[in-house]
Amino acid sequence: MTTTAIELEHLSFAYEGRRDVLSDVSLRLNQGERLGLIGPNGGGKTTLVKIILGLLSGYRGSVSVFGMNPKQARFKGLVGYVPQRCLAELSFPFSVRQVVSMPVKLGHAVKRKSTDIAEVDELLDLVGINDIAHRPVGSISGGQLQRALIARALAGGPKLLVLDEPTVGIDLAGQQSFSNLLETVHDRFHLSLLIVSHDIRAIASTCDKVACLRRMLHFHDSPSGLTPQVLADVFRHDVAAAFGEIHIDAHRAEDCPLKNNGEGDSHAGV
Amino acid sequence: MQVYDYLFHSPAAPLYWEAIWAAIPIAVVCSLLSVLVVLKRLAFIGQGVSHAAFGGVGLATLLGLTGIAHFSVIAAFCVVAALGIAWTSDRKAVRTDTTIGIVLVASMAIGILLMQLWVSLRDQPWYVETFGRTTTSAGWESILFGSILGVGKDGAWLATIFGTFVLLILWWRRHNLLFYAFDETAAEAFGVRTTRCRYVLMLLLAITVVISIRLSGLILATALLILPGAVALRLSSRFVVVLVLSIISGLTGVLGGLLLSLQFNLPPGACMVMLLVILFVLTWPLGILNRKRVSLSSTTHTVRNHGVNNES
Repeated sequence: MTTTAIELEHLSFAYEGRRDVLSDVSLRLNQGERLGLIGPNGGGKTTLVKIILGLLSGYRGSVSVFGMNPKQARFKGLVGYVPQRCLAELSFPFSVRQVVSMPVKLGHAVKRKSTDIAEVDELLDLVGINDIAHRPVGSISGGQLQRALIARALAGGPKLLVLDEPTVGIDLAGQQSFSNLLETVHDRFHLSLLIVSHDIRAIASTCDKVACLRRMLHFHDSPSGLTPQVLADVFRHDVAAAFGEIHIDAHRAEDCPLKNNGEGDSHAGV
Repeated sequence: MQVYDYLFHSPAAPLYWEAIWAAIPIAVVCSLLSVLVVLKRLAFIGQGVSHAAFGGVGLATLLGLTGIAHFSVIAAFCVVAALGIAWTSDRKAVRTDTTIGIVLVASMAIGILLMQLWVSLRDQPWYVETFGRTTTSAGWESILFGSILGVGKDGAWLATIFGTFVLLILWWRRHNLLFYAFDETAAEAFGVRTTRCRYVLMLLLAITVVISIRLSGLILATALLILPGAVALRLSSRFVVVLVLSIISGLTGVLGGLLLSLQFNLPPGACMVMLLVILFVLTWPLGILNRKRVSLSSTTHTVRNHGVNNES
């Protein structure tokens, strides 16, 4: 039987005294699936992430994360989170290993015996930063920090990993290597992934499903269903011109209309 | 040496030893918390909480309270101020620094008004009948700048008991508090109850300020919550080493300042703070060297890694 990681039904939300940021959003993410969430700035992506993480309440409709209230799921350590911008106090004299180990030592993680310190070393190895594990976290590069934050998110032993704009500020080579890392992490832990990004190419090549959000859900299906028209509806301008070529991952490219949509042979025209 | 005579031959020697006894838990607790205060930029909060004691001193003096009762009223003011600051900062209705500024001046105003009221009432027959003939228990000046003689056995015991309490809470909640202090937003997403952490930290700060006031004085109490951590953080970039260095510099500053104040008959709070400031200035070049060492080690690693990558 398939376990549901996230289930939203008719979710609406408004900040106090303002109009709805999210309106009648329904979507479902099964255990082990990868969902990419795209949409314009102010489209409600971060609000949706906050609701799924249990950081915002006062919404209408229903939200369940592994069959429970998002807050419960958070306190049980079922959800790992990689933030959009690292707001940590990087002047803290913590080594990379100490930062990655942080969730392991929290009460709920200890109770669940989710990960131990030896596994933290494995995680550091997995994300490719074992050699800088002893270095002060404030002295590493942006790309290395992003990897450390993924390792930290995994250290809590989550079943769902939420990544909010994980590749912002990382160069193209770093983004490619980051996509590979997500692939590895997904295969190794059989996690559900929710990736919020502006990078439609990365989302299309990494995720099983894509959700396009601008207050309402405009699209929720396999990336192969994404058309320039859908993107233009969501972003309200010709994203095709703005984003240029979209190179879909070879194994997904065959059935992806973005590749051959009549605007060119080897690109999506998006 | 005058300090030797005071400690070993003076009839008041027990009082001096009680101050030294009290100084040890105060130094240890302040030093540990100061690392968090500096890193989490809570120095102004400490200032607000310590100045809330003005209101408590005024009320305790007006009510003619002494000893533990006097201490309890001051403690209550500080704790209420600390929790009030945490509460408003939690609601985000008013900016935290604005709230602290308001609490700080309001407490001082309350303290000054109550002291003035006490001055005008203290000779009234009904007041004397109700509260007895009262004096400020340790003197206004000693409350502001600290007093060795003002500590006493009660003060030493209170510092030990409450200092131990703060240490136990810090140890018990260390993982949550550190995650909260390092990355509040992520900590919340990882299931840390950040609101609870904020209240706990504020409560610990309030208790530490209260037990430090008698020795260091109200005005300089927050210095003990900043300087040991500031010194240690210049010297190392390893957390455990920072904690140890902070305790060492805190003990050096507090005990050294106490002995200097005995030797030269100076207010202990000012001596402690000046000694810690001197330590901070002396460690400045070492801090620059430490930063260079860390940066060099990072560069070496990068070069080595590039080498490995190239080879592969």
